[in-house]
Amino acid sequence: MKVSCLQENLAKGLAIASRAVATRSTLPVLSNILMATDEGRLKLSATNLEIGINCWIGAKVEEDGAITVPARLLTDFVNSLPPERIDMQLVTRTQTLSLKCANYEANIKGIDAQEFPLIVALSEDTGISLEPPILREMINQVSFAAALDESRPVLTGVLAELSGTRLTMAAADGFRLSVRYTELADPVPEPASVIIPARALQEVARISADEENPIRMIIAPHRSQVFFRMTNIDLVSQLVEGNFPDYKQIVPKSYITRTIVDTAEFLKAVKIASFFARDAANIIRLRIAPGEAGLGGQMTVMATSVELGDNLTELDAAVEGEPIEIAFNAKYLNEVLSVITKPQVALETSAPSSPGVIRPVGDETFVHVVMPMHIAR
Amino acid sequence: MNSRTGIHPRSVIHVDLDAFFASVEELLDPSIAGLPIIVGGDPAERGVVASASYAARAYGVHSAMPMAQALRLCPHAVVRHGHREAYASYSQRVMAILAEYTPLLEQVSIDEAFLDVTGCEQLFGPPAEIARRIQQRILSELGLPSSLGVASNKLVAKVASTLAKPRGLLVVPSGEEAAFLAPLPIERLWGVGKVTAERLHSLGVQTIGQLAALPEQQMKAIFGSAAAEMHRRALGIDDSPVGVEMRRKSISQEHTFPRDVADIRTLQRYLLEMSEELAGQLRKEGECARTVVLKMRYPDFKTITRRVTLAQPTDLTEEIYAQATALLQREWKKGMQVRLIGLGVTGLGQARQLALFEASMPRLAKLSRAVDEIRSKYGERAIRRASLLKHDDE
Repeated sequence: MKVSCLQENLAKGLAIASRAVATRSTLPVLSNILMATDEGRLKLSATNLEIGINCWIGAKVEEDGAITVPARLLTDFVNSLPPERIDMQLVTRTQTLSLKCANYEANIKGIDAQEFPLIVALSEDTGISLEPPILREMINQVSFAAALDESRPVLTGVLAELSGTRLTMAAADGFRLSVRYTELADPVPEPASVIIPARALQEVARISADEENPIRMIIAPHRSQVFFRMTNIDLVSQLVEGNFPDYKQIVPKSYITRTIVDTAEFLKAVKIASFFARDAANIIRLRIAPGEAGLGGQMTVMATSVELGDNLTELDAAVEGEPIEIAFNAKYLNEVLSVITKPQVALETSAPSSPGVIRPVGDETFVHVVMPMHIAR
Repeated sequence: MNSRTGIHPRSVIHVDLDAFFASVEELLDPSIAGLPIIVGGDPAERGVVASASYAARAYGVHSAMPMAQALRLCPHAVVRHGHREAYASYSQRVMAILAEYTPLLEQVSIDEAFLDVTGCEQLFGPPAEIARRIQQRILSELGLPSSLGVASNKLVAKVASTLAKPRGLLVVPSGEEAAFLAPLPIERLWGVGKVTAERLHSLGVQTIGQLAALPEQQMKAIFGSAAAEMHRRALGIDDSPVGVEMRRKSISQEHTFPRDVADIRTLQRYLLEMSEELAGQLRKEGECARTVVLKMRYPDFKTITRRVTLAQPTDLTEEIYAQATALLQREWKKGMQVRLIGLGVTGLGQARQLALFEASMPRLAKLSRAVDEIRSKYGERAIRRASLLKHDDE
């Protein structure tokens, strides 16, 4: 293999591909990045066996070939180089990649490319087409609610449902549920319902930051995989096996109190309250009081630490229904309010121990359900 | 509060009844007065000394010592196995006397209390005078000897009463706290346990004064995040108020077996019983626990503790027991023998995150509360787990 490319391109490609490098693996080749010439370009690949990424960068190929080299060492070295041309040559006998850039040189020992697991790339352009900003927003609004702990594997994933002209994503960790849908330009080829690891989606959101063209999402249920195809990047992820809980059952159909507040003000009040709440089981109490004839309602955001002190913020609110006092985990409120882009948000509640529903005002596509905290008295 | 600068020094009295259980036994049976008396469990069942009269202490007997050892030291001692109701009733009468002097009264245990008598001079005279009168009244009205310490804070008052024992009264004037503590051995200081004391000895630190003089860095290496607090204590500085009930941070139970236990099912039964007791206490206080701690002592006295932190705090027997028995199973090896088993919960709090799916939990919670109600109405034994019934026959 003999190939040259620009330092900026290689650094960028490595930053993308290395998102899939295995961090703790018993298989040494998985901590490497595969570099292979591919029809006049250089392909960088990495996989941790759950997620695989292929990334193509522009290069001048003089001689075809492939090698895997330690991802961390290669990335650190390339990132330190000046923005100039890098010449790379593989010494096949020793499986060593030699790199030259300006006055810098390195020889990096690799592992034979034959030992690298094959990352399948779909050639056909099937699946659905998604605008990158919409896909990224969906992922941001849903994936944070997925479980981090592995005790119930299905909850570490995001449910993706395709039906009619709609893609719906849902995630729940046992204490909250986030659901977001989007309308597609064309009807889906066939209905599908799969669970995608939340981490895979978060990587899609991250590596598609510069993407301008629509992203194709292709579900291959028979292979238990999902593909995201971007202009120069392919990401493939294993699906999570199992049945996702029936989330539609969880979203309450009615409410007793509906409170509308300014999203940014509510978020700020929650952030301030969480300084006091972090010492007190992260409890934030909301006292909601309707005003006269639907005017002058109020939401009071409160946190109290026995040792440290307390805090209270009063927010103007449009309150419909009965007064209520309800407590939530500060972290949960903080996270959901951070992903709402509309200026106003509605909180629907029924009782201090019943789920709260959070919706952006004027946006039907997103709904979040959060369980309150029970405070013994 | 500004006890440090001495602008408003507080007056705190620590009252500690001398050899309380043994003294009550003397009152119940005057014929044994003055004899060496040991109150404690059955030596054949590995009981320990709960209290020893000063006559018994002269033989080297002290509380928490195994009964068998105590009786070797003092074979002719009068042994009593305890009259709990009598102790409780005498304790109540002592506290009633103390309560006449100040509402700022903090009972620490059955035989110990702090009083804040700041500003009571107009009514009862100077603090030393109040202390003398209290000691006199406990002796003349109830016949119980006590020792008292008077100082500007709880820390120093407690050390003073301990030094005054028996039947003593020691006053540490405001401003002399550090000088008073300085010559005392470091073991006298709150927060210095056996292990820390050994470590300090190895560094040549024997007295509280030497500890107070240690540079900050060395304090940090020994006490970690508690370094600043320990430095303050070594100087006799303590701002903790009297009468404010400290919120407990953990509760625990333990059981020493009459004979070493080699059967995991017996241990599990004790764990279930202790889980039931701990969970009941949590629910009574409206608290939930975040961490479950298992303690085991082997025949060679090696003691281990193992802990697990739950994803969500709990007040349910079933959850505490499930964690406890999982911890036990992880430690359990064939042929193992256990001398003592203990179970505790920490990370107590009053809030619980409700769950989206787990519909089974609220049912269990409702059941537990129903059981609590039956017990509060008809007594602890009115309703029991079938698996614990067998236990009684043994």
